[in-house]
Amino acid sequence: MRRYDYWLCSIPGIGNRSIEKLLGRFGSAKDVYTAKDGELAELLKEGQLAEVRNSRRNWIPDKEYGKLKEKGIVFLTREDADYPDRLMMIPDAPYGIFYKGALPSNDILSVAIIGARDCSEYGSYVAGELGRFLGERGVQVISGMARGIDGISQEAALLAGGSTTGVLGCGVDICYPKQNQALYHKILERGCILSSYPPGTLPKAQNFPPRNRIVSGLADAVVVIEARNKSGTLITVDMALEQGKEVYVVPGRITDRLSDGCNGLLKQGAGILLSPEEFLAEIRELWEGNRLPVKIERRNQSVSGMENPKEKSVLLKLPEELQRIYELLDYMPKSVEEIWAKLADGTGISELNIKLMKLCLMDVAVQESNGYFGRKAI
Amino acid sequence: MFCTITSGALLGISAYLVGVEVDIDRGLPAFSMVGLLGSEVRESKERVCVALKNAGLDIPPMRITVNLSPADRKKEGTAFDLPIAVGILNALGKVREGAIKDTLFLGELGLNGEIKKVRGVLPIVREAVKNGIKQCVIPKSNVSEGAVIPGITVRGVENIRELIAFFQEEKDQDNILPRILLETDDIFQKTEEEKTGDFEEIRGQENAKRAALIAAAGFHNLLLAGPPGVGKSMIAKRIPGILPRLTLEESLEVTTVASVAGLLKEGEALITKRPFQAPHHTISQAALIGGNAIPKPGVISLAHRGVLFLDELPEFQRNILDCMRQPIEEHQVHIARNGGTVTYPAHFMLVAAMNPCPCGYYPDKNKCRCTEVQVRKYMAHVSGPILDRMDLCVELQNVDIGRLQEQGKKESSRAKMLPASSEQLRKQVVFARKIQEERFGETDYHFNAEISAADMERFCCLGKAEKAFMEMLYHKLELGARAYHRILKVARTIADLEGCMEIREEHLLEAACYRPAQDYWKGI
Repeated sequence: MRRYDYWLCSIPGIGNRSIEKLLGRFGSAKDVYTAKDGELAELLKEGQLAEVRNSRRNWIPDKEYGKLKEKGIVFLTREDADYPDRLMMIPDAPYGIFYKGALPSNDILSVAIIGARDCSEYGSYVAGELGRFLGERGVQVISGMARGIDGISQEAALLAGGSTTGVLGCGVDICYPKQNQALYHKILERGCILSSYPPGTLPKAQNFPPRNRIVSGLADAVVVIEARNKSGTLITVDMALEQGKEVYVVPGRITDRLSDGCNGLLKQGAGILLSPEEFLAEIRELWEGNRLPVKIERRNQSVSGMENPKEKSVLLKLPEELQRIYELLDYMPKSVEEIWAKLADGTGISELNIKLMKLCLMDVAVQESNGYFGRKAI
Repeated sequence: MFCTITSGALLGISAYLVGVEVDIDRGLPAFSMVGLLGSEVRESKERVCVALKNAGLDIPPMRITVNLSPADRKKEGTAFDLPIAVGILNALGKVREGAIKDTLFLGELGLNGEIKKVRGVLPIVREAVKNGIKQCVIPKSNVSEGAVIPGITVRGVENIRELIAFFQEEKDQDNILPRILLETDDIFQKTEEEKTGDFEEIRGQENAKRAALIAAAGFHNLLLAGPPGVGKSMIAKRIPGILPRLTLEESLEVTTVASVAGLLKEGEALITKRPFQAPHHTISQAALIGGNAIPKPGVISLAHRGVLFLDELPEFQRNILDCMRQPIEEHQVHIARNGGTVTYPAHFMLVAAMNPCPCGYYPDKNKCRCTEVQVRKYMAHVSGPILDRMDLCVELQNVDIGRLQEQGKKESSRAKMLPASSEQLRKQVVFARKIQEERFGETDYHFNAEISAADMERFCCLGKAEKAFMEMLYHKLELGARAYHRILKVARTIADLEGCMEIREEHLLEAACYRPAQDYWKGI
């Protein structure tokens, strides 16, 4: 019975790493549930502790677990045998996952197709063709069910009779984006909707980068169809490389901004997808030769909400006066007012604005809009 | 018996003199008026006849003809009642010889002989001085308006009986209708700034306050974006308070517009406070730009030399806002109507406020629940050309009540953190304005915001290093030509605020910080 694990995975503010820590200390979710506040306090921040206490008060494990079953949602933890093998192997694998439908098989080749949401006609054509091709040949298509490339390729794979897995950045009971409602139901019939977020979680922006690591984690190879520079798709690619997955890229014209990201990846040595047949043949060979994907020699860049050694080196390179400001920045844009209040060292507002602009010019920060600044993904 | 009385009429904000010719002769008793008259002018004869009768004067049964010359211009308004009455008095021999020589009359008559307020006294009196008129008799309630013009004797009259007595008296004319003299300097000194709020009352929002200061110093247009209730309107309302006080010349311009619009209060001689106009977003085109058969000044002209504040910018109708494009560029508005073409001044500082998205919290993605499509759609409401003319954009963030209180505490312990008062900010603005005055000298420019692209080299020149830096900014921030110039102008103002002759890197950086971010507005 996983009802205590379900409880543990549903506490707001307790992320995968906190779960990891708690289990490391207490052994099982049930022990965490019964642990004393004092013991928990050693591992958790104040806010998190409050959330744990709060949820312990309002959460009746049996009842909630029953509800989950009623909704037809399956909950798995890493200790379950059904937990996907591929996912088990990635760094920072989610402790608990929720899904509806049938999980992708461990023994069938699976390919993630990712790309821009506002894709071009070219992108949507390639996505459709590739999805159909893979679907016809029984290759499992993994994607994020987003607008654009994601949805188009999954739709095509289903139409061709294949199976597909949609990994969501919200609870599996929520269809996001709304316009993919029809696709959502079709996937449920012949595929899987999967998420690491408990049912009812709304699609928040910060949910998506961790979601992306599952998309690439469930696949043996990742195909990028259209991506702008600095887009979320590239974040997924970085995670895929970190996980040691094959990355294939569909080239675009150099004048197309929507292909800048793709062409950039090609320059860095990613695999080129010129025809689906060729691509499939190459991947099949790797798959049949060795079940584990082969790592490509490549830059060790990575972006995610996870610990990022790059950030440290950026910080050290900055002039001292900018370091403190950089530390106050976050990937979620903050208002100048907020940064200024936190800084509180007598720096004038105009001085702060100037320093923030300097950080932007150094490519380590971004100005989201007038008055909002954030860290730049590296 | 024939005579001509001098009066005046308005055309836009300028005035012209009108000769009121009255002839009384034998013939069938009649009262006819000619000279391209509006209906209110034609009705004048009834008012004049009854007012004279009630003042104890019998109009003999003769043929009275009145002509207003130049007869080819449409006459409007009620200010001709008094000159017509004076003309009749004169033709009847009730006026001492020479009493109306070089005298201009303006005023509306009531049936009881009372003389009422009219509009446009200031420009008409000014025009009279130019034409060598020595004396003017105007309604008492308008008297201060006329009295600020030097070089002319101004008398205020309340009743037609007073005037008759005045015409008959030889020696003690001043006793009956005293000359009114107003020293403009006195008015300026005496009027104490009406307190409409001070910048120090605004907690937090330092970033927006800084932007407001820069905007005021260079007379730049300013856009405030932010969730509801963060103090956008509060800041906008306080901007006139940090602009330099009106000069006499400016004050005359502002007063003239108000006088033409008939908005001067009784007894008000000059407007000494910077105008602040905040029209509601349902405003019609005629009300905003100016209009009518004979066009009256619109809100943009009433905001001349002051602040025009458009709250909830996306709610304004696009086509109405688009009408403001030409006035914003040219600082005046030409209105062509059937009744003639007039030009009104419209040199204002445009301050606009808006929510960034329907819920108001974008780009705070923790709170904003709007989809990208919704945000874009909302942005698309705003007229692109108007956004294009905004020099500074700044976003405000919600300050929760807890932080407001906490900040209050902190501030008391740290004196230097006290928010600057309007008076302090105004000092800085005046300082920057002085530098601009010196810089522009003989040119047509007054403020940095006006510098045209052609003169950019001359007034916003950069050093070699700064030029390279600006080029880098241009590419890095993907600026367009407009944004490029905007940054230069704003940087010029920031440098002026610091009393710095050359524009430095940090000035450019700060100016760039307030530019309209392209990505943000990409929905347009």
